[in-house]
Parts: sequence; C-alpha cells; structure tokens
Amino acid sequence: MRCNYACGAHESLTRRSFMGGTTAGALSMLGFSGMTQVQAAKKLASQQKQVVVFWLSGGVSQLETWDPKPGTETGGPFQAIPTSVPGVHISELLPHAAQQMHHLALVRGINTKENDHGKGAYIMQTGRKKQPGFAYPYLGSTFSSHLAPPDSPLPGYISVGAGGSSAESTFLGPRHAPLVLSNGKAPNNLEMHQSLTADRDAKRRSLRSKISQRFEQKRKTAHTEVYNESFDQAAALMGRRDIFDFSKFSDKDVERYGKHDFGRHCLMARQLIEKGVTFVKVGHTNYDTHSENFNFHIEQLGEFDKPFAAFISDLYDRGLLDHTLIICMCEFGRTPRINQRIGRDHWGTAWSVALGGTGIKGGAVSGKTNETGTKVIDREVNGGHLFHTYYQAVGLDSTEEFYPNGQPIAKADPKTEPLKEILA
Amino acid sequence: MFRSNMRVYVLLLVIFSLHVLSARPVSADQSKFSGEPLIANKPKQPAAKALHQIIDEQIQSRQKVDSQSASPLSSDSEFLRRIYLDLTGRIPSIHQTRDFLNDSRPDKRTILVDQLLASPEYARYISQQLDVMLMERLKKKFINVTTWEEYLRQSVAENKPLDHIIQEIFAADGSDKETQAAARFYLARNGDVNELTRDISRIFLGADLTCAQCHDHPEVQDWKQDHYYGISAFLIRSFVFTDKKKKQTVFAEKAEGEVKFESVFEVRDKTSKGPETTLPVVFNGTAIPEPAFKKGEEYEVKPAKEVRPIPKYSRRAQLGIAITSPQNPRFARTMANRLWDMIMGRGLVHPLDADHSDNPPSHPQLMDVLTEQMIAHQFDLKWYLRELVLSEAYQRSSTNDLFKSKAARELDDSYFTHAIMKPLTPEQFAWAVLEATGQAEIHRKGLKQKLTEASLRNKLVSYERQFVSLFGGLPGKPVEGFEATADQILYLSNNQAILGIISARSGNTADRMLKIPIEQSETMADELYLSVLNRHPDQIETKEVASLLAGKTGKDRSAMVVDLIWALAMSSEFRFNH
Repeated sequence: MRCNYACGAHESLTRRSFMGGTTAGALSMLGFSGMTQVQAAKKLASQQKQVVVFWLSGGVSQLETWDPKPGTETGGPFQAIPTSVPGVHISELLPHAAQQMHHLALVRGINTKENDHGKGAYIMQTGRKKQPGFAYPYLGSTFSSHLAPPDSPLPGYISVGAGGSSAESTFLGPRHAPLVLSNGKAPNNLEMHQSLTADRDAKRRSLRSKISQRFEQKRKTAHTEVYNESFDQAAALMGRRDIFDFSKFSDKDVERYGKHDFGRHCLMARQLIEKGVTFVKVGHTNYDTHSENFNFHIEQLGEFDKPFAAFISDLYDRGLLDHTLIICMCEFGRTPRINQRIGRDHWGTAWSVALGGTGIKGGAVSGKTNETGTKVIDREVNGGHLFHTYYQAVGLDSTEEFYPNGQPIAKADPKTEPLKEILA
Repeated sequence: MFRSNMRVYVLLLVIFSLHVLSARPVSADQSKFSGEPLIANKPKQPAAKALHQIIDEQIQSRQKVDSQSASPLSSDSEFLRRIYLDLTGRIPSIHQTRDFLNDSRPDKRTILVDQLLASPEYARYISQQLDVMLMERLKKKFINVTTWEEYLRQSVAENKPLDHIIQEIFAADGSDKETQAAARFYLARNGDVNELTRDISRIFLGADLTCAQCHDHPEVQDWKQDHYYGISAFLIRSFVFTDKKKKQTVFAEKAEGEVKFESVFEVRDKTSKGPETTLPVVFNGTAIPEPAFKKGEEYEVKPAKEVRPIPKYSRRAQLGIAITSPQNPRFARTMANRLWDMIMGRGLVHPLDADHSDNPPSHPQLMDVLTEQMIAHQFDLKWYLRELVLSEAYQRSSTNDLFKSKAARELDDSYFTHAIMKPLTPEQFAWAVLEATGQAEIHRKGLKQKLTEASLRNKLVSYERQFVSLFGGLPGKPVEGFEATADQILYLSNNQAILGIISARSGNTADRMLKIPIEQSETMADELYLSVLNRHPDQIETKEVASLLAGKTGKDRSAMVVDLIWALAMSSEFRFNH
C-alpha cells in the first residue's frame, strides 16, 4: 500500500534523466531591466559567488547518511563513523564524505511536513509550500538572477542529469531557466552552419527579431518573449561552446570520480564551475527505497560518496570552495520505521541536509533529533530557514523582496530566519 | 473528396447499428453551400440554435458581466492560417492563400471549413492529435505503432463516433488481427494497473487521481481513494501474456483478484478495519455487479502453464461500456473540454485533468451545453469541431488594443475574448516549415499523378519525426504550454535539414523569389510574405525587403533571400498559431 509507482513528480524526474538529448535545455534573455542601482551594486559585489546543488532524487535516508542512529530499533544495520571533525559522526556508508566534514555543515532538524515527492521537491527548491496562484522561482533560477554577471554569455543555471523545466524561473524570466544536459553531452548543433558567417548570422537574427517585434505589438507576449530570448541565448551559447567540451578529463580523474554517470556528471559540474557557470545542479537518483532500503543505500551511496568527496576536495585545492556554496539535498528523508519490505517510506518530519563551502562554518551541526530519529528535539527548521541560509552564505540579503508586477514578494519566507549557527 | 467520404460512410452503414446513424449528416453536399451546420436538425428540437451560436452567447454574457473588451474578428489571412493549422496541421500553400484572399463570396470561411473537414489531411492531423491525447507519445511496445496510427486515421476519416473509438480501444486485447492495433493503449503501458488507472482517469474523466492511490486526495475534496480503486478494479485481473507459439503478446485476464486499499495516513491507526475493496465503478456511478460461478467453473479456458486463460466473465470488458455510458457524464464532458482546448487554446475546465468542484469551468453553463450536445450528437467529432470553428469566439483576432499597455499583458485568456496564441504542435511546425520553404511543393510536383496525402507524407515524414523528437516533450510527458529549449533553437539555427530546404532548389520558395526580376521588389516581398506568413506584406515590410535586396546580385542575392525566408519562418509570428 505504498506509492510504489504513481508518485508523479519523482517518476517524471527519473524518466527525464533516462532520456537522451531531447530536453536539453530551456534558455533565455540577457539584461536585468528594472533593477535599481543599489541592487546592481550589490550584484556586482557578489558576482563571483557560485552554487552547486547535489540533488538526491527520490529522498535519501538521513539515517544512512547525516544522522545515523546505530543500535536503536530504527537505526538499521549500519554503524556511525567518526569524521574529520571531532565529535561529529555520520553513517559508515559515507567514508569519503566523512573526510571532508571540516568543509561541511549539517542541518539535522528539518521538518518540512511534506511526504509527497513533487511538493517536497517544491519546498526544498523554492523555500515555500506550494500555493495555488503563485509560482516561486526555483533556487537555480534565483541564484542565476542574483549572482550571474548580467553581461555573461554563459547560462546562469545548468542542470546535469537532474532534469529541469523552463517553468522553474517563473517571473525571473527565461534567462534564468535551466539549461538541461540530460545525457552528459553538450547540446547538438552548437557549431554554426557551414554556409554562414558570424556577421551574416547576426544580421539574420536581428531581422528575425525585428519581424517578431512588429507582430507582437498588440498581442500577448508571455510566450513570444521566451521564444525570442532563446535565440539570443543560443547565440551566446554558441560563442562559449568550449564550456561543453567534456572530452578532456584525465584518466586519473575518471578513476577518482568513478566510471559511472554520476561520476562523470560531477566532473562536468567541476568544469562548469571552473569555467564560471553560476549555478550547477547535479542529480543522482534511485533513493525512493520503499523496499530493500539498506541494499539500495549501499549501492547508491557507494556510487555517490567518492565523487562527492572528490568534488569538494578538488574545489578546495583549486581555491574554488572559497566562493562556491555546496548544498546536498533532496525532497524529504525516509521513515525511521522500517517497513515489512525492509524499506523506508517518505518522511518530511525529521531529516537532514548537508551544506558546505562559501559562507558555511565547516564542521558545524544545527538541530537534533531524538534517539530513534522520529522527532526533531532541538532547532526545528523548514525550507524557509534553509533559503535564508543559502542567501546569507553567498552574501545576499535574504530579507529583501522581489517585485514581479510591482508586488512585493519576500525572497525567503519572512516567518523564518537564517541558521546563524552554521554560517561562517 | 466529399464523395469518397460518403462512400466510407455507406460502408459504415453496414458495420454499425442503426442508432449510430440517426443523427448523421443527411447530405454533406447540400450544407457545403448553404452555410448550415453539417448535422441534420434534430427532430425533437427543430428550431434549436446551432451550437456555435450558443457558444457565442455564453462567451459574450460573461464578457459583458465583467466588461472585458473583445478583440475584433480576425482578418481573412489570420483566419486562413489558423483554420488550416487547426484542421489540417499545416499552413496553406501560396496558391491556396491567394485563392482564399481573392475569393469574394461572403460565406467563404464556412465553405473553406467544410472543404478542410472533408480533406484527407484533416483525418491525418486530427488523428495525430487524438494519438497524442491517448498515447502521450509513448514509445512502441508490443503493438506496431504504424498500424495504430492507421487505425486512428481511418477512424477519423470515417468520422467514427468518438465514444465508439474509445470503446474499441478498451475492448481490444491484441489477440484478434482486426482489432490488434487498438490494444496499444493497454500494452504500451505494459498493462500496468496503476499506470492505466492514472491515465484513464486523467484522459477520459478529467481527474488526475495519482494522489488518491495512497490516500484520499489531500487537496481535492471530491476525489477519494475509492474513485482510484473503482477504476483499478476493472483492470486488477488483467495481465500481459505472451503466447510463445503464436509469438503474440496480449492483454489477458483472470477470473479472480480484487483491489485492496487503505490510507497510508491511517496505517498506524489501531481502529482501522484493515484494507477495503470495491467492485469496478466509475466515479460516483453504480458499482458493476458480477455473476457468481461455482468454484472451478469460472473459466472458459482454465489457466495453465503457457496457456492464456479466458474467464467466463470479464471485468475489463465492462470498462469501455462504463466509461462511455451516458450514466457517466464525465466522459462526454472531458472529451468536449479536451477538444475545446485543442481548438481554442485553453480548456473551459483548466487544467484539463483538474475537473472538480473547487476548480469550476470558466463558463459553467457552456461546459454543460457542450457536454449535453456531445451526447445528443452521439460523439460526432467532425460536427463538434465544425461548430467550434464556426463560432465568433474562435474567429476572433489574437490582437487586442489592451495588449499594448504593459499592465494588460496578462489579459485573462479564460474569457476567450481574444484568440489565444497556440504554440505550433511539433507536427504543425514541421509541415508549416515544409510548406513555407516550398519543400512540400517540390514533392507535390515530383509525385505528379501519384500525389496523395499518403504519398506526399511518405516523402516528408522524416522532417515530422525530427520535429516531434525535438519539440514533442518526453514519452508519457508530452510538452504542455510553451517551451523553448537550447536543442530546438540550435537545430533551427544550424541544422542542415533546415538550412538545406530553405536554399534555392527548382520550384521552392527561394527559387521562385530569385526568378522574379530584380527591379520588381514589391512582387518579391509579396511572394515571400504570402509563402511564409500567408499574408500580404505591409508598406514597411515591402520596403524592408526591397532595401535588403537592393544592389545585391548572384550569391549575395541568394544568401539574402535565404536569410529572409529563415527570419520569417523563425519569427514569433510563424512559431505560433495566432
């Protein structure tokens, strides 16, 4: 009697990531009209900041990762191990991540009160509960809009093996919608057609745009804007196709990250961050373990742990961790109660995420669950607190507002505040 | 074409029972010129208004209450492009464009509608739209996709009543060669009871019951777990069976098996009486009682190893009957709403699978009328589409002065006071590009006497496939609304398939333009705009074309012509059905 199949959102996400180049990437416009000078100045100050999200689709178990409860009725078979930070223990399924603990902080007191894949994913990526009639932008789009340099030819938000839709950017506009690289490949047709020159291509595109503008004068433009801007963005992308050359990873790196999709996707993310892309989302899937929770976690985390740790360590070695925020999260955790199929089910009541890098106090731990992990007993937080924290970590004021259509919309839920205890 | 349609119709007389026929058109030819609805007046209500008139009354009455300002009637060019796209899936050729714009008969729109409804392209395109609705671009599994597509095309060509098509689909199990194709609905979904329950509810009942699998719907009061399992119960005994000897995969059924469900929210509730069950039932209808058999006598063919069992009583056989029964108005309502959405760009109930009391239709009375009429006209697809496109609501312009001001950018689509701009479907986009560039025309000429809808399609179908793979979304998740992705734009900008058909080849648009003497720049602009955008250029546009081509000869001139065609075909005016 479990949502073993029809849990829509998760299903579609998985389907997406199986697909070839068919969904590669929604795109968009340049420029930041409507921004005040003060905002623009702040933007400049924080421009160098970047963000990477590791999205563990399906909902990884907090008990098999960041908040183990060994030896209790809910703990399962795995032990907790010490980490590079004295006193902080995590699951033995993450031995490599444990060695990077001094770069990471844990939030163990999350209660999002949401057990649905789609809605959980929405809360974690927008910092709000879904409300009818208003669509908040996803954090990839949000940080693309705040942090990407206005004149950058690079897409502000790239999703690698993690799906994504052009609807994510909502009122922030198509410029900040994700470019989806679903099969670990650069988009096709990036090379200009042989019959063209750069000059001729620019001229025909400007003609295209002029013709379109005439048509749009007395018509509804919500969709036509998206279409027009996507031509600009495609042209900018062609100019920077070097960022998509994923053919030059060293054998040693491939060995260190693992010869599987996730390892490769992490290497791609490393390159994209090095090349200056503002926000990268990397997906790893199959954590919806309603049955065989422990076997699945051995397998999945066995794949996840090494490249995740290598990624953090590489960013540190290259001096990138100073200005890159790392967030490892998913839609919810998993039930402490182990079900009849040795599975754990959906659980938004008491679970964890890990943060690291810029603005984050390495080794800090916020929040506490009870002995069996069924309840948060100290510092209970939700998606709103996390959003404030992300903002503050990259040096932005989370108490400001967006003004879509002139209406003030708080950037992060005003009923919540940042987790100061994990901010550097 | 009307004649061939009538021939098929006579064939139908033989095949189908008499009640199907009672409301059929008496004479298509007569109505072709009279401007009267194709359908014969119903004897009971001889003075009944045509549906398109009722539509306009209803739309206007809400508009007046909220004092919305309606857009003017579409110009002939706007209407021409729109009606071709909606009924045949392509834009008109330059000849068809000229003919229509020069036609001075007052009822030329109605005449064109009837011509298009009788064309083989109508059957092709509408069947493709039905295919997307039913199969959501799922890939091949067990059943040959081409046979399925042909089954749907044939059904639309015969104007088979929509409820009959759906009944045939639910009745097919894949064992009979004649009806095998229709089993694609079940088999492409692998016969999975949850996937089928979800899709049947969404597609035919306007209810996304996904969340009601594990508990009553948390946000929709009306939708209970019982509704989900009522549908599941029709299918719970069915399974995919592969007959190794016949090398055939069918949707087989057992004589036993019940659905069991309890809410996951209450699973730890000690007072819970344990899992519930239900007989097959469609929403709040009557549960379908079952005959009882003595133990051991439930089967015609008993289950055994490698043997397909055949039960004496098939639950699944009840599904199509129950879904399409007049006792289940959700079916007619959902079909009426889905077709409305296809033609008008937005459902009266919107989203299409959120038909419940907290989400009423934009025009509740109209929704009821459409539902009643759909039933009264026995699910006559062609009649229904005809009524929709004859309405003023359909024939309005997509321009509205209010759109000039930024504040009114979001003038509410749900009033249907302006034509909603619909992104071209992948099929429309492909065929519109083939028509605009003249690639279709080259092949029409090349085929000579062998030219038919099917032979032309055969030559050009690879373009359609390419567009579907880029613009169609994912299998099981066809694109909704409008998306523009990097893949698409880069394809349109740089791919040889696109640039190849734009460049001049004997008889295509670029070639025709280049054959016009240099000094006749107005003629060139006209040729260009009529070919690609199906309208005459205005003064500014004519001047623009002239100045861009001025002084250019040889290669420069051909390159500029190619770029002009590309720029027009990639413009937002082309990308949308407006």
